[in-house]
Amino acid sequence: MTSAPLTLTVNGRPERLEGVPGGERLLDALRWRLGLKGTKEGCRSGDCGACTVLVDGVSVLSCLTLVHDVDGSRVTTIEGVAREPIGNAVRAAFDRAGALQCGYCTPGFVMALTGLLNERGTAAPLDELLDGLQGNLCRCTGYAAIVRAIALAQEAIR
Amino acid sequence: MPPFDLVAPSTPEEAIATLRTRPSGEVRVVAGGTDLLLDVDAGRIHPTTVVSLRRLPWRTLDWNGPALTIGSTLPLRALENDPDVRVRIPGLYQAVKAVGSVALRHRATLGGNLGRSAPASDLIPMLLALEAEVDLLGPDGARALPLDRFVKASRATELGPFELIRSVRIPEARPSAYLWQRVRPANDISQIAVAIAYSPRTNGWTVAVGGVPPRPRLFPEAGAVLGVGAPTPEAIQKAADRATRAVRLVSDRRASEEYRRHLVGTLLARAVRAAAAPEEFHR
Ligand SMILES: Cc1cc2nc3c(=O)[nH]c(=O)nc-3n(C[C@H](O)[C@H](O)[C@H](O)COP(=O)(O)OP(=O)(O)OC[C@H]3O[C@@H](n4cnc5c(N)ncnc54)[C@H](O)[C@@H]3O)c2cc1C
Ligand code: FES
Ligand code: FES
Repeated sequence: MTSAPLTLTVNGRPERLEGVPGGERLLDALRWRLGLKGTKEGCRSGDCGACTVLVDGVSVLSCLTLVHDVDGSRVTTIEGVAREPIGNAVRAAFDRAGALQCGYCTPGFVMALTGLLNERGTAAPLDELLDGLQGNLCRCTGYAAIVRAIALAQEAIR
Repeated sequence: MPPFDLVAPSTPEEAIATLRTRPSGEVRVVAGGTDLLLDVDAGRIHPTTVVSLRRLPWRTLDWNGPALTIGSTLPLRALENDPDVRVRIPGLYQAVKAVGSVALRHRATLGGNLGRSAPASDLIPMLLALEAEVDLLGPDGARALPLDRFVKASRATELGPFELIRSVRIPEARPSAYLWQRVRPANDISQIAVAIAYSPRTNGWTVAVGGVPPRPRLFPEAGAVLGVGAPTPEAIQKAADRATRAVRLVSDRRASEEYRRHLVGTLLARAVRAAAAPEEFHR
């Protein structure tokens, strides 16, 4: 059963994965099977949010998600985020606000915010967006520019 | 990577049968995996077979008059997004929001939280105050237990080796509140948490406290002092004093015993006021 092939649609592309062990995480399948290195591993324990991707439009921690458990789903990573209007607006807002230094946390922030806006609608108040991003850590920026990026993204998609 | 086989049965009967055919200790159940995978990674458990509950028809949320039944595999985020939960059981909404982060709650489930029964669970204190019942399914059929009996001690439950948590039933939507104190709001463990609920049926208050050893517990002493209906400021103070005196606390790296004692009284008083006037409290 474990090695039953599974299918994912990753950034719009159908992918068929064979021989995936039962314990394999979505994070590792994306990075090492599909070569999508934009999704980062920070803590591998749910604490940092660097590994956030979208599964069927909403955010999940790919380090704590078994690939087999999302068999058949639509997965969006940072590499594909600009294909969707909301994702593209969020990406552009991080760029415009200069909301990164080393950039390691950025894919996670962009995916988490895109997921929140997908889920809660573009009218979601800023407070709620900030609250919803508390699981994402940044060691560099001090967050001020990230907060500006969030506000910019929110304006852009209104 | 931990080498285990993952099986995903499509019926509860099949899942239970799988548990029975594997040597115990080698088989585990996974829902969201946010607790289980950390245990596997840390080498605390070594399953050779893991039974995924993803195909079971238990991602449900059913209101029946004042009662709410929550399927064990419903992601916590779905519970939090239900508009009725937010309005009718505000304390439950607040407790769910206290768990981890949004992305974590898209996978984490209530069944997993109770299956683990961590002493720091944010859901157990609130569900105790709501007098929730846990519905279990095993080889000999179904049985229901009050949550207070289901949770035995830190990480110990009444769950039999071949049993699954099917759902959790809250008998009555109640004005309620869940307040916590932590160093960081997300992905941190509460130093103390207080859950409080008011029953329109009995006109009585129930109080539960989390962050106390060995596991979250009810404080009927404090609930009784609050009396019937909206409590007076004096009654709130007295209930806070009672709970503060009755509670057993420890000092650890998160907080001193003294600070925790202070928090029990303060959070309890605030929680009662919040439950009595939820609209002033919403955030
Ligand atoms: C970064 C991080 C932060 C966290 N923060 C919090 C927090 O603030 N508050 C809090 O309360 N928790 C927190 N947790 C713990 C965890 O996310 C929750 O306990 C969650 O609800 C577990 O659900 P799950 O579906 O992921 O459980 P799983 O990991 O799938 O399962 C947990 C346990 O329950 C068993 N189990 C699961 N479902 C069933 C079932 N239906 N029947 C029988 N047994 C079952 C499993 O075998 C396992 O032993 C955190 C975890 C992480 C990683
Ligand atoms: S790598 Fe997944 S949360 Fe840190
Ligand atoms: S930019 Fe370096 S961690 Fe955020």
